Order: sequence, then structure tokens, then C-alpha cells
Amino acid sequence: MTTTEETPRLPFARANALAIAPDYETLRQQAPISRVLTPAGDPAWLVTSFEEAKEVFRDKRFGRSHPAPEQASRISHAAIQDGPSGDFDTEEQEHKRMRRMLAPAFSAPRMRALGDRITELTTRCLDDMRAAHDADPGAPVNLTELLAFPLPVLVICELLGVPFADREHFRNLSERIAMMDGGADAQLAMTEFRAYMTGLADAKRENPQPDVISDMVAVQADDPTFTDDDLARLAAGLLFAGHETTSTRIAMGVLFLLTDTTRRDRFAADPEGEVNQTVEEILRLTATSGTGLLRYAHEDVEIAGTRIMRGDAVLVSSDAANRDAAAFADPDEFDPGRTPNVHLAFGTGAHVCIGANLARTELRTVFPALFRAFPGMRLAVDLDDIVVRTNRVAGGVDRVPVTW
Amino acid sequence: MKISVDTGKCVASGQCVLLAPETFDQDEEDGTVVLLAEEPPAEEQDAARQAELTCPAAAIRLADS
Repeated sequence: MTTTEETPRLPFARANALAIAPDYETLRQQAPISRVLTPAGDPAWLVTSFEEAKEVFRDKRFGRSHPAPEQASRISHAAIQDGPSGDFDTEEQEHKRMRRMLAPAFSAPRMRALGDRITELTTRCLDDMRAAHDADPGAPVNLTELLAFPLPVLVICELLGVPFADREHFRNLSERIAMMDGGADAQLAMTEFRAYMTGLADAKRENPQPDVISDMVAVQADDPTFTDDDLARLAAGLLFAGHETTSTRIAMGVLFLLTDTTRRDRFAADPEGEVNQTVEEILRLTATSGTGLLRYAHEDVEIAGTRIMRGDAVLVSSDAANRDAAAFADPDEFDPGRTPNVHLAFGTGAHVCIGANLARTELRTVFPALFRAFPGMRLAVDLDDIVVRTNRVAGGVDRVPVTW
Repeated sequence: MKISVDTGKCVASGQCVLLAPETFDQDEEDGTVVLLAEEPPAEEQDAARQAELTCPAAAIRLADS
């Protein structure tokens, strides 16, 4: 963003992994909803204020489908969050069916029951970190590779019924579908991802297991309108969302805690007592995608005096809304003492993240275990040397080198 | 404090159950909210307030009694 006359184009640049772009604040001071260009160069509305973000998330006149998909603004050249999805006439009904099918598998009681298993898997990852450190005590350990990536993958693999041994295959596919400039390769990767999921679904049909893909196969047996392609798309979406997002929160949470020794020591002194509040603050402050979550207006809507026309693309920036001074005092400060800390990291409304309980359960397990194991852990590089993935839909960082 | 829930609005996110498990539960079939206690136990009063604020569907109401 250079001048006020020019329409700003996403994604905006930020100073480091823990900051968000100052452009959001500049825009919010002008209006809660601004005209922007998407990374693909198409027009869209960008919501930067907390109240309006909440309003759009909760307003049923916004959806993921488009009345005329071929005319819709494109967001990027990735193969997810790139444009409209679903059928305009049946979206609400389809969405309800999907939620009804999946809600029990991601419920809080199920996640609580999974707690011990998550603890075991966390211990396994921490043992790997220790072994890497002991093998070469002078060299930093890449926390992303040994904890932030594998832990959420181990958990989501068990939950969905995906073989962990296939992780490098779907990691590669996940990375390719989320490249904002991916184009044909992103689409090809999405086709491969769906084919992979179709193969898994076929195996579950033969030999059902207590996992989510088997549940979906069972639902499909009673509901022929839930096609193989629907199933593959949904399963790929769950696998992608189930590891990329949590992985980024683990990496960013560690960065938040390690870039301030007082913060780290406070947490390490009483991890169980501090964890819930600390996790909420990590969720609030973690800036991920450069675009925000995508909606299309299903009819003309007026919000905060702005007239949004049917079919317009609306990008809701939770990253920006979570740092709106109208909703959070000293919004850029990391302060686990905030009560209540009602943020929009999982969105809200009918499309609220279905994995919120899973993510919270994982995050509440991993941080205490990590800082009990390595209370003196420190970042092995400067924060400025942590490279942010600006060209990826789910954002994140490639490496978090630590030592102790 | 008296709690009421609107199961018609509920989107089954279960965030209330993670916050206050003695006060809220989720239906095993469809995940919608089940109110276990209209009056939350003393140690869950703050969590119940938080649940009202964070409920993605605004399906939880608290009234001081």
C-alpha cells in the first residue's frame, strides 16, 4: 500500500513472524471494511475490525458458494480458498449435513478422551527432540520438523484413519495445493490429494475402522447424494486443516514464548496453571494467512454503512480483528492475563472451525510438556531470521531452530 | 446465575463443553449442546460466562438470579 488513492493489494508485508502488517491498522482507521485487491488481482472487501468480522461470520447472507461462480473474484492461484466452493442453491443444506456428520467426531468429550493419547504422542516427539540434541549438542534442533509438524499430523492421522507412513506424500500435496501462485500444479496436487483420499475411503469401505473416514463412508452408504468426490474433497480438507493450522500455532507459540525470557520463565514456572490463558493468547495473536477467510455475499448486504453487492467477495481477516484496539486493550501485547479473551482465531457462526476443540486439546498438551522437558529452551537464531511463508494460504514458518 | 441454551441455534462447536464440562455436554448423535446444570457449580461460573461470550452461535444465555 503506497498511496491512499491506490487500491491496496493483498498480501501485506509484515516486519517479522510475530507481527502483523501495519496496513491492517491503517485501513481499519479509515473504515471497518475496505476495498482491496486479492493476491490474484481481483476486487474484494477486506474486514479488519472485530465487530464487523464477527457480524460477517455470523450473517447467513454470506457463504462459500457464489451465484455465478465463473464471474466470482478469485483470491489466489492456490487450490484452496482460491474461489467459490459448493453449490449456491444447496450450500446451506450441504453444510448442515457435513457439520452433523462430523460434529460428534470432534466433540469436546471425544477430544477429552483423546487427551492421554495426545500426551503419549507428544512425549514421543519430545524424545526425538532430545535425541537430536544429544546426538549433536552444539547444533540447534529444528522444532518445526520434530514437533510442530509431526505432532498434529500424528493426531489427525489417528482421528481420520490416515496412515502416518504416508505423511511425506500428503505433506507434499498439502504444500502444493496451498501455494498462492501454484496455478496448474496446485490443481494437479488437489486432484492427486482427492485420488489419495478416494483410495483410503475404498479401503475403509472394505474394512471399516473406528475413524472419521470410516464414519463418512458409513454416512455415504445411507445417502447417495454424498458423492465419492464430496467425500474425497471433505477428507482432504480435514487432513489439510487438521495439521497445517495447529502446526503453525505450535511454532508461533514457541516463538512468542521464547522471544521474551520473562514470558518463557513465567510459563515454565507454572505450565499447567498458565496454559489455558497462554494458549488463547497464542491463538489470538498468531497471524497466519495473508488474505483472511473467504465469503461471498449471497444477496445485497449493508454492513457498517458499506453496501456489499450480491456476489462480492469478502475477506474476513481474523488476524486483523484479533488486534483491533476497540476489542482488545494494547492489542499487540502478548498478555495471557486477558479475561475474557474472546478472539476470532477459529472464526465464529455456522462455519466456526470444527477442529477448535481438537486444536485446543493439542495446544494445551504440547506447551506444558515442552517446557517441562526443556525449561531453559531458547531460540537459536534471531526472530528476524525466522522466514515467514508469505506465499502459502495457511502461512506459517519453515524452521524454528531451538537449543537448550 | 441461571443458564439457558437454544439448541435450534447451536452449531455443535462444543467450545462450551471444553470450557465448563460440568455445566454443558454434547449430544452423542449430532453434537448439539446438552445443558447439565441450569445453575453452574461455583467453580464453573466464570467458565460459563466465558462460554456465553465465545459461543459461535450465540446460543447460550446467562441471567443473574
